[in-house]
Amino acid sequence: MKEQPREIRYKGLGVSEGVVIGEVLRMVDGTVQVSRWSVNTEELEKEQQRFRQAAAAASKKLRTIRDQAQGRLAREHAYIFDAHVLLLEDEKLLGDIAEYITAEHVNAEWAIKVVGDRLTALYSEIKDDYLRERGSDIEDVMQRLLAALSGARPEDLQLAEDAVIVSRDLLPSALAELDLTHARALATDSGGWTSHTAILARGIGLPAVVGLKDFYRRTKTGDKIIVDSNRNEVILHPSLQTLAEYRKQTEQGSPRRAAPPSEDRGSLRTKDGVEIKLRANIELPSEFDSVEKYGASGVGLYRSEFLLARNGLTVSEEEQRVAYESVARLAGADGAIIRLFDLGGENTRPHFRQPEKNPALGLRAIRFGLRNDSVMRRQLRAILLAAASGNLKIVLPMVTDVNEVKRAKAMVDEEIAKLASEKQPYGDVPIGAMIEVPAAVMMAEKIAACVDFFELGTNDLVQYTLAVDRGNDEVADWFRTLHPAVLEGIDRSLKAAQRAGIPAIVCGEMASTPAYAVLLIGLGATDLSMTPSAMPRVRRTLAAIDSVSARAIVEECLQCEGADAVENLVHERLASRWPYLFPASGLPKPRPYQ
Amino acid sequence: MIERKLLVKARLGLHARAAAKLVRLTTTFRSKVSLRRIDGGPSADAKSILSVLMLAATAGTELEASVEGVDEETAMAALDQLFAESFGEREVEA
Repeated sequence: MKEQPREIRYKGLGVSEGVVIGEVLRMVDGTVQVSRWSVNTEELEKEQQRFRQAAAAASKKLRTIRDQAQGRLAREHAYIFDAHVLLLEDEKLLGDIAEYITAEHVNAEWAIKVVGDRLTALYSEIKDDYLRERGSDIEDVMQRLLAALSGARPEDLQLAEDAVIVSRDLLPSALAELDLTHARALATDSGGWTSHTAILARGIGLPAVVGLKDFYRRTKTGDKIIVDSNRNEVILHPSLQTLAEYRKQTEQGSPRRAAPPSEDRGSLRTKDGVEIKLRANIELPSEFDSVEKYGASGVGLYRSEFLLARNGLTVSEEEQRVAYESVARLAGADGAIIRLFDLGGENTRPHFRQPEKNPALGLRAIRFGLRNDSVMRRQLRAILLAAASGNLKIVLPMVTDVNEVKRAKAMVDEEIAKLASEKQPYGDVPIGAMIEVPAAVMMAEKIAACVDFFELGTNDLVQYTLAVDRGNDEVADWFRTLHPAVLEGIDRSLKAAQRAGIPAIVCGEMASTPAYAVLLIGLGATDLSMTPSAMPRVRRTLAAIDSVSARAIVEECLQCEGADAVENLVHERLASRWPYLFPASGLPKPRPYQ
Repeated sequence: MIERKLLVKARLGLHARAAAKLVRLTTTFRSKVSLRRIDGGPSADAKSILSVLMLAATAGTELEASVEGVDEETAMAALDQLFAESFGEREVEA
């Protein structure tokens, strides 16, 4: 049982730079973190008692659930709870956990996690699909045990110092709840370059490898692991030799966090004098520091969904107001653009009888807001109140026509009227539209006439223009940021904004990749918003190019027949025009192919 | 001690609910009940749901049951019946 497992390497996609040596911490999608701490010999008995009590409490609670279920459900279905009750009382299971606590001198939570992971790992070996998936029954029972324990958790617990979070598909809300000061890296089965989790990981400078396909089930909490995002791989059970090599490498530098802040701050100019604004995309409070650190011109995109991580849609007006005020303070004179809750599918499911079949095309973003206007009005009020003391703007996500903008604006006006009659202080808030679906691009001129600014969400624009799910590895080869149709859409939107005399901010991932940022400048963008840690790179690049050459390159790209042609062209033109910026060998790949 | 071969006929095998029924039955007897796959592997304590689940017995798996104790005959008869009835399972599972 104790034999040393062999080193295995898994290929994925490094979406956030860095190399980390650590221990696996498995996370079921979206569940709470588990910490490890040691228990000294005198305390062991107390810990065992704590565990026994928790197991008894969990089983008592589950018995109640089972008995209720037997009343309401068909007996066959209620039986599943009986299986869980039996598991919670299983002497072998409880015995294994108790043994682990004593043998390893660890807390009960950790022992549960380790034993549970071992069992699910065994289960995952089963050939039969149906039986194998029943491993989730064991996970469910483990979660119940953990929940029962959490009632009496000591205060000083923390994530293990070198925890590498391993998950199938880490929900952004779960990532948001993590104690990020202790998480060192991320490794997930699904996801791609632009998946939400990848974006967040880059935002907080957490090294991450995603798209590892079948990795999660092969790991156990506590396993040694190396995450090497630069090589697009993770190494499970690294050999002593591999460990030594990596230790040497990590000591010699390659800092975990992104490059130190550049001296430059605020806006910058291209060689031919075009002024470019760089703003910050943020979501988590842990990202706030980076706005100042990298000298961003305010916040170009505040993803407000983080506020829902804890309480869901019931988040109060007060809690939101406080959050928006702190974002406004952080953003300073340049202000912050708050994107209204951009949610759908999973996040809103409690509101539906059944999950949507196609959430990306479902009741989400502005559609959800207009349909559930109490949620949207509460958010609008909180923003208006916070704007009394700071510079805030609102951007409406996933707009497809003028009517939606008008309805949203009417709602804003009504809330302003209410606040005025209540004699509450509020501030003026410009309203913009996200241009991120093809319909909005085709309506760009009309929408521009009734908003204060445009914000181009290039990630979604690529996804919806090309009809490619950005979280789906199977179609990753079709997710082509440099598709001529995408460039055409950006071009049209920017021109419409220009003609209407309103600002247009490009806020997708595209802006944070230097080669793409050059193209955006060529298309006439002068206002970019990105992950703060990407700013030094983009700043260096844009300060060294001229907009005239960039425009010439883009004009050529727009004539191309497909994404391949654009990618090759960009590769060639950038390398020949600015060889010191884009050495042919080191040019960032448009997107990694596999 | 009595030993007998049993066949898992339930379409979905010895999954959680079937295993729960099995354990609920075996724990009513005082005899020691164990199951072992005919095709090899360790023997499982039929009173522990975890052990039963770890048999990973899919439909068509042959098991050898051995029962030992004061009420071994009634226990084996009950066990036999449960397997014969496919754990009372109807073909409803999705």
